[in-house]
Amino acid sequence: MNSGTAKWQRNVFIASFILPTLVFFGIFTIYPVVQGLYYSFFEWSGMSEHKTFIGFDNFKDMFHDPIIWRAIGNDYFLVAGKVVGIMVIATFFAVALTRFGFKMAGFFRSIFFIPNVISVVVIGVLWNFIYNPQIGFLNAFLSLFTKDQVTIAWLGFTSHTIWMLLPPAIWAGIGFYMILLIAAIQSIPASYYEAANLEGAGQWKQFRNITIPLVWEQIKVSVLNIMMTTLNGSFVIVWIMTQGGPDNSTQVMGSYLYQMAFRQYHFGYGASIGFVILVLSLITTIVLQRLMRHETVEMS
Amino acid sequence: MSMKKKFAALGIAAILATVSLTGCGSKKEEASNSPAPSKPAATESASAPASETTDNAVKLSGDFEIQYFVGGYGDKWWKQVIADFKAANPDLNIKESAGPKINEQMKPRWIGGTPPDFVYIDGPELFNRQMVEDGQLLDLTDWISTATNADGEKIIDLMAQAPQQYDGGKIYDIPLVLNAWGIFWDKKLFADKGWEEPKDWASFLATSEKVKADGITPFIHTGKYPYYILRSLLYPAVVSANNNDINIIKDMSESKVEAFNNPALLAGLNQIVELRDKGFIDKASVQINHTDSQMLFLQHKDAFIPNGLWLPNEMSKDVPAGFDFGFIPSVTQAAGGKVIANTSTATVGIAAKAKNPEAAKAFLAFMFSKAQASQFAELSGAPSNIKGDISSSNAPNFVKDAAKFLTDSNTVVIPFFAFNQDVENAMYDATVALTISKITPEEWIKRVSDVAKKVSK
Repeated sequence: MNSGTAKWQRNVFIASFILPTLVFFGIFTIYPVVQGLYYSFFEWSGMSEHKTFIGFDNFKDMFHDPIIWRAIGNDYFLVAGKVVGIMVIATFFAVALTRFGFKMAGFFRSIFFIPNVISVVVIGVLWNFIYNPQIGFLNAFLSLFTKDQVTIAWLGFTSHTIWMLLPPAIWAGIGFYMILLIAAIQSIPASYYEAANLEGAGQWKQFRNITIPLVWEQIKVSVLNIMMTTLNGSFVIVWIMTQGGPDNSTQVMGSYLYQMAFRQYHFGYGASIGFVILVLSLITTIVLQRLMRHETVEMS
Repeated sequence: MSMKKKFAALGIAAILATVSLTGCGSKKEEASNSPAPSKPAATESASAPASETTDNAVKLSGDFEIQYFVGGYGDKWWKQVIADFKAANPDLNIKESAGPKINEQMKPRWIGGTPPDFVYIDGPELFNRQMVEDGQLLDLTDWISTATNADGEKIIDLMAQAPQQYDGGKIYDIPLVLNAWGIFWDKKLFADKGWEEPKDWASFLATSEKVKADGITPFIHTGKYPYYILRSLLYPAVVSANNNDINIIKDMSESKVEAFNNPALLAGLNQIVELRDKGFIDKASVQINHTDSQMLFLQHKDAFIPNGLWLPNEMSKDVPAGFDFGFIPSVTQAAGGKVIANTSTATVGIAAKAKNPEAAKAFLAFMFSKAQASQFAELSGAPSNIKGDISSSNAPNFVKDAAKFLTDSNTVVIPFFAFNQDVENAMYDATVALTISKITPEEWIKRVSDVAKKVSK
């Protein structure tokens, strides 16, 4: 009897921590997702009292919509570009600032982290100025080397304009992952490197055989995080810089969702795009985790 | 032990609190947001022809809610007209729901079926054609055909631009503002450089040639918002090519496929291509927003800009000293052809589910009077849609000039037509693609008519 009450009290105690979180998670995450899925089965302007149930028609329409395919392509292009760009540069900086014993390491660490403190909106506006064909920094810089004024519209190419969104996205992302990797590298015992040195291993060998395997967990987390934030969040930088244009060439799923739901009044269609983003994010997460699983090395 | 109990109690309290919160959320905010449900007092006189006259015939009372967006035209006029209306109807309890974000704030009310009585349709997230298609607005067709204002004038006869007709002649919203698109330049710069001000397509091209020879780019627009070039250049061009018949724009707005295959549209698009191929369009245009394009124009990087009459007001803080705005509603007409003025407007309407429609109709009649016309021009810096002489009012000079232009019998006025948003967006995308040589005019027409075909099914 007595043990029963104790057990019950223990359960109540645990529940008092879990339940509020669960309730909040339910209200602010599960409920909107379910609601979004529910709306994706309707034809609804997003402003009207009336919705028409159309089953899977929104998803069928999506299949024949060339813009959604381009948006998905652009999304994965950004994922790939950002993963490669951010990871290469962040790893390079992290190694440079830890393994090579710079005097100014602290200073550079702060400098590289600054873009992370700036809001993405500001970054978008800033890079819009850099890319501005008339008064922009990039053309002014290039004009130093040419006879005529350079007037390239960096965000206005007939195709492949999405490439121009990579530099700001990478620039904005490096700092955080660099800090993450610096922390990981600093937790590697110095004796490993000393031993390797004695055995005659050079910097590259040390990097390849000690650093990489021992920070692999952090690299994995970074890659997954870059992928998820890109699929869900590239909307902001696209909307600030190009609004998906010119002629939808920089559209990503998030910006196209906004365009359809709030500018063309197809809220149901927008909701179904949102659902596709969710499904693709989940699938990509699982695939990436599988791909990166096997190489984990434990520090003893 | 007692510690644990305390935690448990706290936890349960937290759960209870969140549960009660969810309860609130699911009730769709009806309780907190909607006005007290009052019987519209006007029902007692519902049989009287209440709508045709204003306050003197019917005593309006009860609650009356007005939703108005506060944007470029400000809220000075709204505050004034509501105060005037209140003075005329002391028993009416007027509630103003206003602000720059009001459209988003009121959205749940429109979705939930408890909209305000009266709505000014301007700003983002509110769109008249969509509201009509969603059945949100009261059918005003019969009312407007007979309604008169306090001066005994028929309202429909006072309007500079007629209300848009949906589904073969139904009227749901009334244009309140009369603004116009067109081409701007700096008269001072033109005089200094000895450039001729454009009167038609030939003189526009000739001047552009000279401008280019002098090392300045002739023409800039905003590629992020392609409706600036569409409405200032393409629509007038199409109407000119269609023998000054505005019905082609009306048909396009109704997504009629044959309108897009009218050769006049191709002719209009070819005029854009001509600008493009002669290198007159600033290459920066494709990627910049309207503010950036206007800044470059004010800095004399470009000679012409397609824009609306609000431009001098919008940029008043950045206009350099000595800058003198020149304006013409259209440059695309042949020599000697009529000037085409494409209007821009914001409309007002009454909610289909208005609780006090009689008050809303009375307010509508109240605001369409000549006295309000000059007051509107003065307080909001734009001509109102009421034909009236505002030359004696304190309205800014360019507003008076514009009003003169728009009421001139030699000007063809295109009233504002709200397009289907899918079709209009296809036009935006295609137009940007056209200006950067990605597609041909024929491909433009193919793309847009395909969308028109799809939506008119």
